[in-house]
Amino acid sequence: MASNQFTRTPLPNQAVLADAELVRACRAGDMTAWRGLYDRYAPLVHRFSAALGVPVEEREDAAQDIFIAVFRSLRHFRGEAQLSTWIYRIAARHAIRLGRRRRARDLMRLTMLKEKPPIAIDPSEHSTHVALLDRMLAKLPAKKRTVLVLFEIEGLSAKEISEVVGCPENTVWSRLHHARAEMVKAARRMVS
Amino acid sequence: MKWLETPHDEGEHLLREGLEQARRRTGDEIMHRRVWGKVNDALARPKLRFSGRLALASAALVLLFAGGLFGFPRLAAYVASPDTTVATAPEVPASPAPPATSARTAPAFAEPQSATAEQAALLETERVPGHVVRTRGGERARVALGGGAEAELAENSVITWDRQRRPSIEQGNARLSVPRQPPGWRFSLTAGPYVVTVVGTKFEVHVANRTVGIGVTEGVVEVWRGGRSTRLVAGDSWTGPLYPDEARAASFAPSVRPRLHAPPLAKPAASAKAAPSASRGPQNARAALQSGDTGKAVEILTRTAQGSGPAAENAAYELGRIARYHLNRPRQAVALWDKYRIRFPSGLLRTEADLSIVDTLSSLGDVRAALTEAQAFLLRHPSSERRADVQKLVERLRATESAAGQR
Repeated sequence: MASNQFTRTPLPNQAVLADAELVRACRAGDMTAWRGLYDRYAPLVHRFSAALGVPVEEREDAAQDIFIAVFRSLRHFRGEAQLSTWIYRIAARHAIRLGRRRRARDLMRLTMLKEKPPIAIDPSEHSTHVALLDRMLAKLPAKKRTVLVLFEIEGLSAKEISEVVGCPENTVWSRLHHARAEMVKAARRMVS
Repeated sequence: MKWLETPHDEGEHLLREGLEQARRRTGDEIMHRRVWGKVNDALARPKLRFSGRLALASAALVLLFAGGLFGFPRLAAYVASPDTTVATAPEVPASPAPPATSARTAPAFAEPQSATAEQAALLETERVPGHVVRTRGGERARVALGGGAEAELAENSVITWDRQRRPSIEQGNARLSVPRQPPGWRFSLTAGPYVVTVVGTKFEVHVANRTVGIGVTEGVVEVWRGGRSTRLVAGDSWTGPLYPDEARAASFAPSVRPRLHAPPLAKPAASAKAAPSASRGPQNARAALQSGDTGKAVEILTRTAQGSGPAAENAAYELGRIARYHLNRPRQAVALWDKYRIRFPSGLLRTEADLSIVDTLSSLGDVRAALTEAQAFLLRHPSSERRADVQKLVERLRATESAAGQR
């Protein structure tokens, strides 16, 4: 029990369900299954949103919106792709939308002469390496960034990435190649 | 071979480390719980169907049309009027050097009844550094500050814009109304040596007699000077010295705030450090627990729980968990979760606290108390995803109770 600190109270009969069963149970309105689905994919959504540049102060809201979208459109999930691939697709679209909103807000702040808000720092992310990586990722175009994050951080295969981003596998490889090259170049520049 | 498996230079090494750490960035459990609480709430609310949306859109259109019909003739008449100032009140002059601004004026705050009745028109100013708006005796002005914020200047008041284009109350009284700012945005203004930051609120600033006074009507206001701050909530008021020397010497110490009605704050240096340490509290407590220092974790969490906001709520709940799982004191754990429930009756971890109490009491063999709590849980959380499990537990406890009664 000692290793259980900071985890939620376990459900007495919570069995590990396969994604397909979980989806079926969720569709049937089983709240335990919904919670199970959330617990399984919340860390993934957080990690993916962070890597796609959603700032710390917006991550909770982003995760909330993504999961509400997942739960509300679960009935449209046909099961042709993996559940994780489908969630990645929703999360990627949401992160891009947030990025667009953020840019518009920055522009508005410039025109309204507002003071820039202080940059929030996630206390769990004190590492310099990950902060530098975020800075380098921020300079990549959205398409290359998504592919690089899905491959290198999320560990998806090129085929799965092609399903998430909706492009041919060859394009995934090409974007990945360019993204890696740009990242290495940026890292070397940063070090020097 | 995997990319960056053997880094060739410092840059590749940096990249590899960064990627490695980004893979471990999964967020903390407390945050996930908070998000689940919000998601659960949102899911409990029925989604508006298409017909509902259509009805709302139609209502909005009708309102817009009606507003146009009503407002346009008034606006046209206002624009066509040769003199847009109120005839009974004199014009508000600007300071001599910077560009002048005239304002529609009305009586000062001293006459609240007539002030409400004769609300002055909103004055759109240039909001450039050095621009000044000044009211004389018996005058009042409403000045737009950008982003929907506005200041209502009482008589003999002066507002300027500093180099950072922030509004600055130089003299007199200003009643400010700042609409809720978008996430991550803050509105700030200065008064003497202090910077006042708000997210969305109504408050009043008073600069006179060598003092700066702030009274909050709605929301939360932070008053900053250097790296030190004080936080005021609705109903609080605060006074500080106007001149930098006095302000430096007195700082935020309570002794120079004879009219301080806000809850007494810690020394400024401590309060400035309080925010980051509160947000780091759970992380530090977790690190202490992992290193086996339960006492330190309890100390950190107790300190965090004394504050306010989500960090305090989480800490209050976690104290119960430590008592149960680390200190093996289940009764104390129940008491701590009970304390949590009293303090945060609608907290995001309320369900967890209720369940933890049921679970602990049942493991203690206190059938009667566990049954009472479990039944209360079913009544309090009718749509909880744990309902089925608690229902089963209730049946089991009832069976145990009746078996004990028969014996």
